[in-house]
Parts: sequence; structure tokens; C-alpha cells
Amino acid sequence: MLAARAITRRFGRTLALDGVDFEAHAGEIHALLGENGAGKTTLMNVIAGATRPNSGEVTLDGAALNAGSPQEALKAGIAAVHQSPMLFERMSWEENLALGGFGRRGRYDLRAVAAEAAALASQLGLKLPPPRAILEQRSVSERVRLELLRALSFEPLVLILDEPTSVLAPSELAGFLELLERLRAEGRIVVWITHKLAEARAAADRITVLRQGRVVARAISPETPERELAQLMLGELAPPDAAAIPKGGSGQSVLLLDNLLLIEDGRSIIDGLTLELSGGEITGLAGVDGNGQTELVELLARVRTPSGGSIRLSARTEAAEIAVIPQDRDHDGLVLDMTLWENLLLEPGLRERFTNGSWLDVAKARALGADVIARYKIRAASPDALAAELSGGNRQRLEVARAMSLKPKVIIAHNICRGLDLAATADVHRALVDFAAAGGAVLLISSDLDELLALCGRLFVISRGKIRETEPAERTPERLGLLMAGAWS
Amino acid sequence: MLWPLIKSAAALALAIALISIVLVALGVSPVAVFAALAEGAFGSWYAFTDTVVKATPLVFTGLAIAVAFSAALWNIGADGQLLVGAILSGAIGPFLGGWPRPIAITIVLVAGALGGAIWGGLAGWLRARRDVNEVISTIMLNFVAVQTLSWCVHGPLMEATRAYPASTPIAESAHLGFYFPPSRLNLGIAIGIILAIGCHLLLFRTSFGFELRAMGRNRRAAAFFGLPIASLTVRVMALSGALAGLAGSVQVASITHRLYEKLSPGWGYEAIAVALVARLNPIGIVAAAFLFGALDNGSQAMQRAVGVSPVLVQVIEGMVILILLAFDTPIWSRLGGRLGGAKGPAHAPALSPDA
Amino acid sequence: MLEAFLTSTMTMATPILLAALGELMVEESGLINIGIEGAMLSGAFFALAAAYFGGSTVLGLAAGIGSGIAINAIFALMVVNLAVNQVVAGTALDILALGLTGVFYRKFFGVTGSSFMVKSMARLPLGPLANIPLLGRAFFDHNALVYFSFALVPVVAYMLRRTRYGLRLRAAGERPDAADALGLDVYRLRWQALIVSGALTGLAGAFLTLAYANTFVENISAGRGFVALSVVILGRWSSWGLAAASILFGAAMALQFAMQALGTAIPYQLFLALPYALTVIVLATVGGQVAAPSALGEPYSRS
Repeated sequence: MLAARAITRRFGRTLALDGVDFEAHAGEIHALLGENGAGKTTLMNVIAGATRPNSGEVTLDGAALNAGSPQEALKAGIAAVHQSPMLFERMSWEENLALGGFGRRGRYDLRAVAAEAAALASQLGLKLPPPRAILEQRSVSERVRLELLRALSFEPLVLILDEPTSVLAPSELAGFLELLERLRAEGRIVVWITHKLAEARAAADRITVLRQGRVVARAISPETPERELAQLMLGELAPPDAAAIPKGGSGQSVLLLDNLLLIEDGRSIIDGLTLELSGGEITGLAGVDGNGQTELVELLARVRTPSGGSIRLSARTEAAEIAVIPQDRDHDGLVLDMTLWENLLLEPGLRERFTNGSWLDVAKARALGADVIARYKIRAASPDALAAELSGGNRQRLEVARAMSLKPKVIIAHNICRGLDLAATADVHRALVDFAAAGGAVLLISSDLDELLALCGRLFVISRGKIRETEPAERTPERLGLLMAGAWS
Repeated sequence: MLWPLIKSAAALALAIALISIVLVALGVSPVAVFAALAEGAFGSWYAFTDTVVKATPLVFTGLAIAVAFSAALWNIGADGQLLVGAILSGAIGPFLGGWPRPIAITIVLVAGALGGAIWGGLAGWLRARRDVNEVISTIMLNFVAVQTLSWCVHGPLMEATRAYPASTPIAESAHLGFYFPPSRLNLGIAIGIILAIGCHLLLFRTSFGFELRAMGRNRRAAAFFGLPIASLTVRVMALSGALAGLAGSVQVASITHRLYEKLSPGWGYEAIAVALVARLNPIGIVAAAFLFGALDNGSQAMQRAVGVSPVLVQVIEGMVILILLAFDTPIWSRLGGRLGGAKGPAHAPALSPDA
Repeated sequence: MLEAFLTSTMTMATPILLAALGELMVEESGLINIGIEGAMLSGAFFALAAAYFGGSTVLGLAAGIGSGIAINAIFALMVVNLAVNQVVAGTALDILALGLTGVFYRKFFGVTGSSFMVKSMARLPLGPLANIPLLGRAFFDHNALVYFSFALVPVVAYMLRRTRYGLRLRAAGERPDAADALGLDVYRLRWQALIVSGALTGLAGAFLTLAYANTFVENISAGRGFVALSVVILGRWSSWGLAAASILFGAAMALQFAMQALGTAIPYQLFLALPYALTVIVLATVGGQVAAPSALGEPYSRS
């Protein structure tokens, strides 16, 4: 039996896990369900030894594991497959597998590793790359399969899978489920981390639900109705006032993406994307991470240039009137070691406003900082506080405030509520809705279906760089999940 | 505000304590050593003025390091940039006889800044356009500069009698004269202080300074918001090089009046200690340069008095850098938070691991 | 003349190659050690001091190795455990070593050090090979360290590319977080690389004082540690490439002496500057980061 007891883990001021208890028995597939930012991946990292908890312990069959030691977790038989593959991109796939459990004994011989891997792969019906192929040239799904293979090479007693289906093709799903069932039959433990209700109900023996770093339902039956699970996952979320959400646009076109193309290393990342944004509307773009969303955002932020097609602004829109909120606030959106007001100036449009010649008007910028703190309920001592001192939610409020201060016509928002608590999420959603209600155009790019279903007028799905508009009938989490998996592209 | 100062002082004190242990082990009295250092640096009006003279090149190179490090560009090549600046100044200087003083001096200084800017800018260009790590390129360019200087003073710029490996002296009209002879006090330190104020304004009050610091603290975010990373890299490195080049040119114009092989005793490297002690703050650099200038100046007297090599100063420098680096790690920040009430990440951000 | 040039090339290449092979391991593990110059200088000084006062070359070599390891251990503590900026820490160690060796040197040997000579390491002619005309003296009549450094080339190549340990070391330099997740101890791997490198760099320093100059002068390493850094880059992170680049640098240094002896019009500084300029030119044309380990120079600390 795998047990995690009273696990607490803080990252800076964010409480990622708050006294979490988790149990999984031998011979079961246990789903760990929760929305983005609920703490699932952190819990996985704690169990796999990659992250040391602030308190609490993990035991396997009664024996306590040394916290924060991946070596010991692996030795004890706990292996993990990560959502973004933990692989060595510039090495061959054989070398990657040799770093796992293949060919551990005897002389170091990559051919022996390849032979062992081929044997296991054929059992699973997985295809291996050609000999000596370097990983960075292989596709994402191929890489994930290699990581799965590598995890299995440890013959783990516990296999933790983080959102494994997000990169598997539908055709591979059956074989994958078969594999899990075989692991279960052998008495192993499979922990399946997902935010997809349907998946958890279909595959798991029992389900544990996490919300905001706490366990809200422990080891419940997969027969639990979907509605109930959703409520557990999301909490008593007061849905945004449905009447306030602008569903139909003003029809006033603001921005047109015309047959947009982005090709890199011969692979098309964005593949003929056409999309028109109009004022007074939140347009949604749903997709599993890694299908071209990040690149699309970078194209719109004009950090990249498209390989083909165009981004056209309507006659009355200026380039500076597009505000972009990137998904990774700590790495792309903010400079954590700078003050709050300096982070406002990161936006070129605002910087221009506070620059005379080449001099910065520090007093005015600071005043805007103070104004923004009050208006957007940012918890900060002063505009001179470092962004690093703000909590995740307040950092996001700062990003939204910055976008709004630009007085833009269009806001591009990418996964902006990831990892936020409910209050911050509600605030951020409210700001977007108000902006749209006042005639602005919003493109909300997200992998959080509930957010999209709640806020968006039109809803598109992106898969492998192509987009498709959804019919009203398709706007259920199940159907959308299938579309996001690329059932149409 | 106060906390960084306390940290720098603590690092210095710790370094001195560690060195005292080494000195005791060597059978030398630390008290005698530091007394001789202080005597040599501040014991007389002349000693004091020479401390200022010794601090002058460190002000310029310290600023050069601060500007580059603030942008997370690790310029280890201030020494080479200084030498190239000096070469250009020393090459043009002899031809300025008869020119009005202000013009001649300006030409010499501009030549020095230009030389340094070219040498630094080259490393910046290599980084921006050819993806060449500036650490490696600046170190390599240091050696190229050293050999170029050696060749110049043995070859094309060699003085007329061809007896000494030194260049033809620069014209007197280009001298930064001594104001209080016999002390060698000159205009160099004033230029340095003005530049320090200028660098402070540049870093914290201009759009360029903002972009530079944003790039230094988070290159990804800076790129995302459209900052011209490549052009900033070249400009920052050229600016850093120009400041270092000025160090060389001021030295030639005020003190040596000519080029010779060992022109710089490693001011470009010492500047790293200066800049770190000053927490990359331009105004602080003037103070830190004065401190290290005092050590340099006192070290000669110390050698005469107690027979310890003047390179003891470098032991202090190396230790201070290491201790300050260790202070900046999370372990110490946490400790600092408890001891000094510092809030948040109490480190010079440009030196934090994720910068 | 040619024989002397070739002999001199091999002699000059040896300390560079020793240090570069150590640095190669360190870089494969994901660190860049600018402090290599300081480690070499310490090795040079302490090797001489031990050999002089202890009267034994072996003791000298051991002291050189030990001091190289000591300097690298400080570096390891700073950059592996405390995850501080590697460039700045390395530069600090260079300055520190320059100061420490200078202070110790004056203390032990006074100001006129040139009289403190030690016996040069014995030459070991390799039997009949040493009698081959021209090449025999040039390549097969050196001291043990010269042979050792070149014999190390295939050993390091094999270790890095053909052993499990080498694979793990490279994994730590390629993606430390993933290596960590697979149960590799990244800190320990990097410490090990730095210790081995410290030993090799210290040995390189010992070579300078015990086999080349037979005495110590301040800053005797004179940038050879930095040369080793560029040799790693020029050699494209391959042991064989490193050997070739070391010989190239050695030849440039040997050529300088030859030119001075011949009294040619070509300024000898050109040959001294050439290797450094070449490094920059090669980097600029081939591109800087192509063959370097992905995580080179990025601080890594476990979450």
C-alpha cells in the first residue's frame, strides 16, 4: 500500500499542499482528480521524491521513504511519467533508456538496452524510433512513450502518470488502457493524475479528489455521478453571472488572423489558422498544452514572425492596443526581481506613456502602481514592493491590471487562471467579462474547459496547430475533451 | 537600504578575520599588517591622495562591471577593454602637441572610450549574433589585448630611442595635470564620480537603463515584451567596454603618460570585487573603489613594514567575492531575514542563480 | 631546430591538455569552471614548495594534486551546494589563488625566488622508440606526465562515451532535473567531476614548476588555465579534439620561442595572441553553443 500522510508543501507564499492524506492499494488504478493548480503534480513529485514536503511522510508497504530522495523512491519501486517529458533531448533514445532501468547489469552496452526495450515495447504494441535517433528530432508523443517505457523499465510497484492521455493519440488509448490493466493484475499500483472527469470514471478503481491543495474526497467510487465529482473538484463555485457574460459580439471586427502559418525545423506548429476577433465578446480557444498555443501567443505578441499568412488589425486598431498576458507569469509575464511599478513598465505601450525623451517619469509610474494596487485589490505594501513578494493570485492581478492599464482593444490571455485560488480566479474572470462588456475583444486560450464554457461566446478547439469552431451541441466537457485530443484533425 | 551595506561590511570583516588566521599561521601579526596597510593608505596627506589616485581606475572598471552585470552580461574582459582604450589613447596622444588643452584631453578620452567600446562591443556582438558566450570571448579578448599592447610598445608605438619597451609619451597638452604637487591628485577621480552619477541616472531613471535591468533580471520576459535583446546586448557591452576603456585612457593621460606592458595590474578583475561589494550600485562603487584603492595603496607600505606581499590584497578581494556570493544564497537570505528583518529576496538580483 | 620545436610543442601542450581533460569532465557535468586558472596556479606553487622542502618530486606532485583538489572543492561548495553564479565564483578563486600563492611565496622564499630551483622531473625515453630519427626525441623522450596526459585522452573519451558513469555525468550536464528524477545524484556527480578535474589541474600546475620552469614565479600559469577552457571549446567537447587543440596551442607557444631564437621580423606576440584569437574566430563561425552540454553554466538546485 502506498500512503502519503499529512503532506504540506509551500512554494514561497503559495500553499500547494495542505495536510494531504492519500492512499492507494496494491492492484488498483487510482485516479487523482483535480483542476489545474489543485496540487496534483506537487503531490506526485512528493511521492516520487522529486520535491521535499515541508511536513508529512510517504510510506510504501509500511516503510517510510526518505523525503526528497528520488533515488530512494525509485529503489522502493516508485516511478513517474511526467506531463512534459523528463528526457535528455540531445542524447539518443537508447541512452535515455539506459539511464532508466534497462541494461543496468553487466557491461554497458546500448545494443543490449535497445534489445530489452524492443522486447517490452512489442509487448505494449509501441513502436521504437530508428537506432541511435536523437530525441530532439522526435515528436512529443514519441517522447512521452519513451518516458513511459523508461518508467516501466524500473518494474515499478507504483507507477504515477501525470495527464498521460493528453499526448496519446486516440488510437493508442486502447493499448494504453490494456497495459494499465495488466499492471493492476500484477498487483501494482497505478496512480493516474487527471483533470478529466470522464477519464477518471472510466479507468479508475477509486478516485481521490484534490482541490486547492486539500483532499476533498478520499478514495470514492468511480460510480460517483459526474455532477457530484465536478462539484467536488470545483467547489461551490458561484458561476459568473450568466446574464453579465456577453455571448454575442458586437460584430465589430477588431483583429483578423488570416491563414496564419508557423513552420519550424520543417514542422508546422501553426497550420493555416484563421480567426476573427470582434469587440464585446470573449472568444475561447481550447486545447491541450503543446498544440501551438504558446507559439500563437508569441506571434500575437510580435515576438515571432509568422512563416505565412497575416495578423490584420481593423482600421481603428493600433498594434499597441493588443495586450498579451502570457501563461507563465513567473518566467514570461513578470520580472520577479523588479518592483510592481517597474513591472507595469514592461509593457511597451505603458513605458512609452511614462517616458519623456529617454527619461522615465518614475513619479507618474509609481502613481499608476498605487492606483492599480487599489483598483485591482492587489495585496502589496506599496508600488515599490518586488513582484517576487506577491502571491500567485496577486501576481496575476498585476498582469491583468497591466493589460487593462494599456486601455487595449484586444486582450490575449493564455491560461491566466492556472494555479490561482477561487477568489483570484473570480476576480480575473470578472475583469475579463467587464472588459468585454465594455466593448473589448478577448481571446481566452486555455486548457481549462470549465473556464471556457463559463465565459466564452464562441469557442474554438486547437489541435496540432489547426483550429476548428465548436457547435453548441459539442460544448460538453466530454465532447470537447475528445476534440481537444485531436479526434478531428 | 541599510541591509546590503551591512552585508558588504560583514563580508569584509569575515574576509579580514579569515586572513588574520592565515597570517597568524604564517607567523605574522595581523595587527601589524593591517596597521601598516592603514598607515600606507591614510598615514599622510600624500598617502591619502595616492589612495584616491589608486581608486580612480577602479571607479571606471567597477562601473563597467556594474553596467554589464546589471544586464546579466558577464563581462570578465574589463582588463582587455581597459588596455585597448589605453592603446588608442597612447597612440593618438603624441600627435596632439599644440592643441588646446580641453580639446586634446577630450580627444584622448574619447579615443580610450572608443577603444574599450569596440573591444566590449565585439564581445556583445558575438553574443547577440553568433551565440558566443561572452565569458569565454571576453577572457580570450583580454589575452589578445595584452599581446597587442606588448606588440605596440615593442613595435609601432615604441619610443624613439628604441631602448625601452614603452611608447612615445603623449603630448603635454593632453595631460590631466596634477593639482597639488607633489601629490598626483588629478581630474580623473572627478570624471569618475561624474560618470558614477551618470550611470546611476542611466540605470534607474532612463528607459535604456530600465530595459537593461529588465533583461538582466528576466531575459525571457524582456524578450516577450519586445525588448530588443540583441541590440541591447551589443549596446550594454559597448558601454561597459567604453567605461573600462576610459580607465585606461585616464591612467595614461594622468599618471603614466605613455604605454608600457604591465599597464594594468588587473584592475579589470579587481573591479568585480569592487562592483559586488557595491551591490552593483554606481554610487556605491565610488566608495568601494576607494576602499580597494586604499588596500592597493597601503599594500606597498605593508610590504616594507612587515614583509608581506602586496598581493595579500588579492586574497582579501577573492574572499570578499566568495563570501558575498555565499551571502546571496537562499540559506543566508533566510538567516538574513531573521537577523536583519530584510524582506523578500535580499540579494542583488542580477547575481541570483535564475538571473 | 624542428626537433626542438616538436619537443617544445609536446611540453607546452601537456599542462594544457591535463587541465582541459579535467575541465571537459566538469563541463559535461554541466558546470563551467573559470577558477581552473587558480587551481593550476596553486598546484604549481604547492608542488614546488613540497618538492623543495620535502626534497621529493613525488611529494611535490602529490601536493600539486592536493591543492588543485582543495581549490576545486571550494568551487564545488559554492556552485554545487550553494548554486551561486559560476563565472563570478570562478573568477574570485582565480584572484584568491593569485593572492595566496603570492603571499606564501614571498613568505617562504623571500623576494628573490629564482635561486629556489628544484631538479627537473626525470625523462623516460621509451626504449627504441626514442631512437627514431627526428620523431623519437620529439615524442618518445619526455617525462612521465607527458605520456600520462596523452594516455589519458582515450581513457577520458572511453569513460564519457562508453561507460554508464560517463552517461550519468552527461545526463547531469544535459538536464539535471531529469537526471535527479531518475535517481542520479547530480550534486555528487558534479562534485566528483570537480575533484578529478582539481587533481588533473593541480597536476598541470605541478608540471609547470617541476618539469618545465623548475622554479616558481608569481602567476607562473600565465593564463594557461584559460587556454584549457578554450581548448575544450575548440576541441568541441571531444577528448580527441582536445588533444588536437592542445597541440595547436602548444605549437603556437613553441613557435614563439623558435621565432625569437631565429630573430624573424614576425612579432612573436602574434603567435601568443593567435590561439586566443583563433578561439574567438572559431566560436564566431561555428556558433558558440552547438556542441556544449545543454545545461552548461546554469545553476541547479534541487527543489
